[in-house]
Amino acid sequence: MTTSAVRPPVDVVLVDDHHMFRTGVRASLDERVDVVGEADCVDEAVEVIHRLRPPVVLLDVHLPGGDGGGGAEVIRRCADLLAGTRFLALSVSDAAEDVVGVIRVGARGYVTKAISGPDLTDAVLRVAGGDAVFSPRLAGFVLDAFGTAAGDVATGDDELDRLSAREREVMRLIARGYSYREVAGELFISVKTVETHVSAVLRKLQLSSRYELTRWAAARRLL
Amino acid sequence: MPPPAPPRLPWRRPAQGRRLAGVAIGLAVHLGISVRLVRVLFVVLTPVLGVGPLLYVFWWLTVPEGDPAEAAEAARPAAFARLARRQGTDGTPSRLPVTDVAVGVLLMAGAAALLLARQQGSLGLQWVLPAMLVAAGLVLAWSQLDAVQRGRLRERAGGRVPVSVLRLVGGVVLAGVGVLLLVGGATGQGIAPAVLLQAVVAAVAVLAGVGLVLAPWWLRLWRELGDERTARAREAERADMAAHLHDSVLQTLALIRARSDEPAEVARMARAQERELREWLYDDRPAPGTSLAAALRAVVAEVEDSRSGPGGEAVAVDTVVVGDRVPDEGTDALLAASREALVNAVVHGRPPVSLYLEVRPDEVEVFVRDHGDGFDVDAIGPDRFGVRESIMGRVHRRGGRATVTSRPDRGTEVHLLLPVGVAVVPPVVARPAADGDGRAERTEVAR
Repeated sequence: MTTSAVRPPVDVVLVDDHHMFRTGVRASLDERVDVVGEADCVDEAVEVIHRLRPPVVLLDVHLPGGDGGGGAEVIRRCADLLAGTRFLALSVSDAAEDVVGVIRVGARGYVTKAISGPDLTDAVLRVAGGDAVFSPRLAGFVLDAFGTAAGDVATGDDELDRLSAREREVMRLIARGYSYREVAGELFISVKTVETHVSAVLRKLQLSSRYELTRWAAARRLL
Repeated sequence: MPPPAPPRLPWRRPAQGRRLAGVAIGLAVHLGISVRLVRVLFVVLTPVLGVGPLLYVFWWLTVPEGDPAEAAEAARPAAFARLARRQGTDGTPSRLPVTDVAVGVLLMAGAAALLLARQQGSLGLQWVLPAMLVAAGLVLAWSQLDAVQRGRLRERAGGRVPVSVLRLVGGVVLAGVGVLLLVGGATGQGIAPAVLLQAVVAAVAVLAGVGLVLAPWWLRLWRELGDERTARAREAERADMAAHLHDSVLQTLALIRARSDEPAEVARMARAQERELREWLYDDRPAPGTSLAAALRAVVAEVEDSRSGPGGEAVAVDTVVVGDRVPDEGTDALLAASREALVNAVVHGRPPVSLYLEVRPDEVEVFVRDHGDGFDVDAIGPDRFGVRESIMGRVHRRGGRATVTSRPDRGTEVHLLLPVGVAVVPPVVARPAADGDGRAERTEVAR
């Protein structure tokens, strides 16, 4: 809401297999966001994204078509665009392998479909600005995966398998339902610093080889 | 028979109402005729070259044991199967130890024949006695076919059944001795020990060779059987889930349509249904009493279902759980305090309401947050029994900490911290380091 008046609206491609849901999202997004394209299956999504090259793609995790890989497959097949196009996963799923899986292939955030219109718009703008978007649920998964015991704190900046004390604090506040601004107020840091921490956590989430993460991303409950 | 013929029940040998092995009653149920008629037919056919008993024994061996009605149920596609088991048919299973009696009678007859032979010289000893031995051995060994299903059940329950092995071995030995005697009698002078040994070695060698050749087929058959069994189990689970979901979802939808003019109630029902679906789809379902996370979810469900916000609207609680452990008295108190805090947040606060539970090896932490205007903690009078006693008192008594932070613009947050594994009386403030370790459990049920 800060500088929306001067900024042109952000172009978004909406990928979801439910027409009703696409209509709902389109209606709930405000004027800071412009839906330029829609797709309802993996192949169409890949084609539309390559054609339009939007800055942000709102992507459902479960999609028909393609090789059955859903949203993760869309991101994988659009890997050549990752520099200019950012993916925000939007799903009803609570399953760890869905959430973590789509983040591990390159999504910049994960929000549930219960999110309100203004919050979703904020999330889109945040992703467009290069930052990560964490829902409380995703923060909970991160804490679960990286551990909450005293020995799980990273000592160096380059360590990928553990969170730093500050990153963990930020994650806990997000899991407790705090917005970025509230986190910043609570920790006496700027919103920008909070975003930096969240982005660092996202990077660790994507690159870490921690056992819990790979297990989640790979095979949990694949009956 | 009425024109739309009811589907014929499969042929099984039921445990109820059987006289011998259940062949007759099974056949009667299968064909839809009277049991008595079948039994009379068996008896009538006996003088005709022994057809009656022969057929009986043949079907005894080839027709599987089981309840025909259950077998019919199992044969239907799993998606249509009922979840609840049908009431059993009347009558207690009658299980005469037929085979044991038969073996005993045959052996007794053999002994009698032997005795007679000793006293009166030859009495067809050349073939009567060996034939009896062979028959006894066969009955003893074949009775295993009947017992296999029961044995499998028992095995699944945990116990091995060495009796079945003993019976099989005994049957083989008896039959083998009988055959040898028969062969010896047929060739005239009996069998010399050396020849016998040679023959046995040769026979074993041939059996081993054949076994080796057939082993791959047998293994493949076994594996396919296993695959089929797991596939069926999976289908059964899926059907179980589908039935459960369809039932509850359809019911909720019908309710929502009927009460569409009460938005609060509709929202509440939709939320309850969503919660249930999520639980089915995404959660491992731990055994009751083993998961603090599951207990907390149950508390949340109860509060969501029974409490409304200040305006009468349904309030959804955003729940995040990190870690898990087996509940104990301490966490029960924590849970009760969390429930009070949650009720407070839902009823007096403003949504969104967030609940966060974090289980660490040495302590458990709960945050309950709402976005209401908050209230002045210091102004809580002694009359506000709710907050003081039911939230803070409960946690304090277990050696934990409870704080309520309330700020006008950021809502209210209740923070509960409980060291786990702490002695209940007296309340210790310091955290014990020893007992808390290794008790944290994850509910990672490998499924």
